[in-house]
Amino acid sequence: MSIQVENNLKTEEHKDKFEQTAHYIPCKIDSDGPANVEKYFVPYIVDKDGELTASFRGHSLDGKKMTLPEGYRAVTVTETKRPLAEDVERKFQVTGGFKEFTYWNWDQKPTKNDKMERAFDWIDISDAMHGD
Amino acid sequence: MIKSLQELQDYIKSKDNFTNFTNSSVVPDVCKTEPCMLGVDEAGRGPVLGPMVYGIAYCPVNQTKVLKDLGCADSKALTEDKRDDIFSKMITEEDSLNNVGWIADVISPNYISNSMYRRAKHSLNEVSMNSAIALIKKAAESGANITEVYVDTVGPPEKYQAKLSEIFPDYKITVAKKADSIYPIVSAASIVAKVTRDHALKVWKFLEGLELNQAEFGSGYPGDPVTKKFIREQIDHVFGYPMLVRFSWSTAELMLQEKAATCTFEDIDEPGSKRSNTKSISSFFAKPNEDKPRKRHKFFDERHLSVGNPFE
Repeated sequence: MSIQVENNLKTEEHKDKFEQTAHYIPCKIDSDGPANVEKYFVPYIVDKDGELTASFRGHSLDGKKMTLPEGYRAVTVTETKRPLAEDVERKFQVTGGFKEFTYWNWDQKPTKNDKMERAFDWIDISDAMHGD
Repeated sequence: MIKSLQELQDYIKSKDNFTNFTNSSVVPDVCKTEPCMLGVDEAGRGPVLGPMVYGIAYCPVNQTKVLKDLGCADSKALTEDKRDDIFSKMITEEDSLNNVGWIADVISPNYISNSMYRRAKHSLNEVSMNSAIALIKKAAESGANITEVYVDTVGPPEKYQAKLSEIFPDYKITVAKKADSIYPIVSAASIVAKVTRDHALKVWKFLEGLELNQAEFGSGYPGDPVTKKFIREQIDHVFGYPMLVRFSWSTAELMLQEKAATCTFEDIDEPGSKRSNTKSISSFFAKPNEDKPRKRHKFFDERHLSVGNPFE
């Protein structure tokens, strides 16, 4: 199976599309599609000197803003039509992305020991292994 | 300092309804010198929506006549209008202003849900007790000379009384069921709490932008057909309910289980706490399982890193 990702969006022209807001919620949400984030979530975010709080489904959340490591960015893609057969080429379109996101923990302040933060260690190691 | 029910509503509206806040009277001068009794009661403990309000009222021990003149009696026997009427008198009439002080602690539904859904769960009883304790302290700190405390409780009074006596060793403490029908000062506290809750619901503003008022969500009691309909229909697939609702109530939990997207928070059990490392004796005789996938290095496990294909 080969995968083709196509980008028709120029970074300069679509700055806003590549700087979207993203939230990492510490909860598996069994849903795929649009969500009323602006209405139900954003109004309850309180920022006290960078220490963020919010609430999701009655659970208190503590969060902080995180920026993706230098040289990396997140990209969102969509597939217009998923082919029925396996082992055929699949085509994805870039729809946007983000450079920073809000990381939320359930009822505990984010720390350097959180898995998300530590996962970025891999990038240094990967650099050392595969970099020039 | 509020002087009318309208001002009470305006004050409530000026506060964030997803956090807690208090509303209090000025401490009457006489309460700073004369020994005072203080009553504690709550409103809105059971409902699935809206804040829970704790109220205290205090007045000099020898001034119970003021309370009787106000009409403080078993608050459950009073209609909503009658309670509004008594509260209005409390905040306007000279005799009451000079003798009776009060504080209301408005505990938001969001705070209640958050507390009950902590990693270390915090029960509604704890939330309640902490509110009552904080209010008694606040009255004393603002200068009231408290000597006697009367508390209404739904649970067993003995434990509660012991706890309060430990925290406030200098006060004479009485915890009783139905205290609001026995002690007028508790009736006064009850009126403060109930009126505050009633008006908090009347002026509830949905930050979610929903244009609904109390006619569409009702009293919040699980038996109220309007509330039932609201809980059944006002569901967002991802977020569940607006913050008016107490997510931790089983009525709400069950409805979301049925009608909204399933949400699973991480397990609270910390790794390594439960599972035993002892192998069963029979495992030594079993054929080794060669198909078992190789375990990844703990570097990856600890970081939740795995090789995956997001396009699958």
